Amino acid sequence: MRKMVKQNSKLFIVASAAIVLVVIVWVVLGSHRNITQPISYNHKIHIEEAELTCVDCHLYVETMPTATIPNIEICQDCHSDEPMSDSPEEVKLLKYIEEGEKIPWQRIYAVPNHVYFSHRRHVTIGEIACSNCHGNVEELTEPPSYPLWLPTMENCISCHKEHKVTYDCLACHR
Amino acid sequence: MPKWAMVIDLDKCTGCGDCMAACKLENNVAIVSPEQTEEGRVMFWMDMMSVYDGEYPHVKVKRIPKPCFHCDNPPCIKVCPVHATYINPEGLVGQIYHRCIGCRYCMAACPYTAKVFNWYEPEWAEEFKTCLNPDVSLRMKGVVEKCSFCAHRLQVVKEDADAEDREIMDGEYMPACSESCPADAIYFGDLENRESKVFKLSRSPRAFKELEGLGTEPKVIYLSKRE
Repeated sequence: MRKMVKQNSKLFIVASAAIVLVVIVWVVLGSHRNITQPISYNHKIHIEEAELTCVDCHLYVETMPTATIPNIEICQDCHSDEPMSDSPEEVKLLKYIEEGEKIPWQRIYAVPNHVYFSHRRHVTIGEIACSNCHGNVEELTEPPSYPLWLPTMENCISCHKEHKVTYDCLACHR
Repeated sequence: MPKWAMVIDLDKCTGCGDCMAACKLENNVAIVSPEQTEEGRVMFWMDMMSVYDGEYPHVKVKRIPKPCFHCDNPPCIKVCPVHATYINPEGLVGQIYHRCIGCRYCMAACPYTAKVFNWYEPEWAEEFKTCLNPDVSLRMKGVVEKCSFCAHRLQVVKEDADAEDREIMDGEYMPACSESCPADAIYFGDLENRESKVFKLSRSPRAFKELEGLGTEPKVIYLSKRE
């Protein structure tokens, strides 16, 4: 009898440990859904060595609501036939350019479509630095795999309150 | 702080319904099946009231475009249990769909029946899906919606004005109905700006407000010489 109880309790511990593990994995993967980009782009080298700034490639950040993710049309301005480095990632890029195929970048920052978020409003009018929301991208040697800062309403409102700008519903909701 | 208002000149209005169509397209208002329309579930943000006077063959028809009146003292916001509908400092009565629980108290409270309810998940024909306005979110089943005075246009206009460090000009912010009206019968602007067309027209002897006695202080003002 005692043996059975012992066995049962062992089973119980194993089962609960398994459940806890599943929950932890769920939470970690759920909150930080790791996204792998088709090319492991090195922001640091482009900013430090090529002396590029964010807006050189991410066009329309200052003038339009939506910023862009650069694709081959922008890349090929600098990367022509000859590779500039011995990085295997550049070889991948040159292949995309040669074949005229778009790089299937994965978008990691997005707001729902009932929210109006404008880069121009924040960057040009509000004079907020890119790093405020996107972090120290200039230090990254590979692309971020999850958003540094989630554009949730809680995060938006707390920043709006901090900067004493409007948090009227109709300023963003549409 | 501006106070946005609309003036509808009924003497100019031909009742063509262009404002209704423009509104429906601009705001992705769901198209309701004929059977549901029979049940009174038709969805218009800009509706057209028809008033028939006299007996056949001497019938006089009055056609009155009816958006949300964006009252200064709105009855709908007082009954909303979740603050999904509210009035903002610029006098726009907003409806926040993701907060709405679909109790429809506001619909019952509105004396102008300006609000409509999504009885079903809106369905769009395949060809129509590419024509939806990306600037206005699609509503879901179980929420109340209404004319917003095209507040999504104001967001863009405000940003343009701020980027150029100036005030919003008269006529810069216009809802779709006012823009599309072929008879130029719908004016829109800032009631606080004494130079605006809307301010001047609101002082016209032809001006009146719908159900003025209720004290809702609507910001849609009608102009008419007729009774």
